[in-house]
Formats: sequence, C-alpha cells, structure tokens
Amino acid sequence: MNASTPAMKRYNRRMLWAFAAYVVALFAANSIDNHYHLQGGVLIALSVVPALPIIAVVAIIGRYLVEERDEYLRQRLVTCMLFGTGVLLAVGTVYNFLSGSGAIDPMPRLWIFPVWAMGWFAAQAFLCLRDRFAGQPA
Amino acid sequence: MKNRLRVLRAERGWSQGDLAERLEVSRQSVNAIETGRYDPSLPLAFRIADLFELSIEQIFVNPALEAGEE
Repeated sequence: MNASTPAMKRYNRRMLWAFAAYVVALFAANSIDNHYHLQGGVLIALSVVPALPIIAVVAIIGRYLVEERDEYLRQRLVTCMLFGTGVLLAVGTVYNFLSGSGAIDPMPRLWIFPVWAMGWFAAQAFLCLRDRFAGQPA
Repeated sequence: MKNRLRVLRAERGWSQGDLAERLEVSRQSVNAIETGRYDPSLPLAFRIADLFELSIEQIFVNPALEAGEE
C-alpha cells in the first residue's frame, strides 16, 4: 500500500509488528510443543497463541479504517477486502463440495486467511495499476 | 461523475499533488475524482468548491442533466 497518509504509515508499521509477532509466536509455539509435549488447557492456550497476531491484523485493519481521513483510500481498501471475502467464499464453497464428495482429501483450514489476503492483494494490485494508468498526474 | 476539476486545476497551474495538499487528501483521490472514477462525498465536494470559490454545480456536472442532454 502507498504510505501517503499518516494513518497508512501507522497501519504499515503496525502490520510489520503483527507479522513479526506471528512469526515469533508460531516458531515459539511449535518449539515448546515439540520439546514439552503439552496437554490439556496449556496445549489449548499454546495453540491459540499464533492466532492472536492474525486477529490483531484484523483489528489493525479496522483501526486503519477508523483513522484514515482520505475517503477514497478508505473506500478502496473496503473494496479490496470485499473482493478478498468473495474469493474466500468462492474457494471455500468449492473446496467444501470437493472434500465432501471425497474428490479431494480434507486439508487443514490454515489456508483461510491466506486465501482472503491473496484475494485482497490481487484487488489492491489491480486498483493500483488502474489508478496509475487511468490518469497520468499532471 | 463528470467534472471540471482538471481544467480548474490547470488554470491555477497546480499539479494533482498541489491540489491534494490543499484539500488534505491523497493524490490518488484527486486523480480518481478528476477521471470520474470516484464521486466525492458532499463534505469533500464542498471543500473543493470552497477552494475554487465556486459552487458545487459549477465544478461537478449534474448526472441527471447530463443524461438529458444525450
């Protein structure tokens, strides 16, 4: 995203922290689980730890939408998120029918957030290109 | 929505970035409004009108009238 507004700069900075936290949390949770073979409530708590930065990403997006004063950029982000949601629903529906009929093996649901993000980024890339070529700055 | 933003801006010798700075929006916003890909909210339309010291109707073409002309 183009860091041209103060809100977007804060958004980018928060996102970097969230993704760094995700990598650390995922690595730490896997390492601890491999070494100590935890069970019960501790295992549940440990399993949830890597999900927290992902949830934080959603909160960061929400906060950006509140803080961003540029209405066009705000609308563009919402459009991209809706496109990502549409892609996720379409892929998820097809996947459910394929796995339900036994045509493919069920997979871990870890792909849900990446599919949403890929749809979002695809829309973002398309809109950025459209903006670039729709009218050259004078 | 069709508008005269590009002409008005050019008359004053402003770049899209200059206009964006005056309106406190991004250059992308100015570009999107100029090319008719984005219709500004009423508050932003009033800010644009105030900046050029014109009425909103003198900057933005009424879509109903535009359709009637065709």
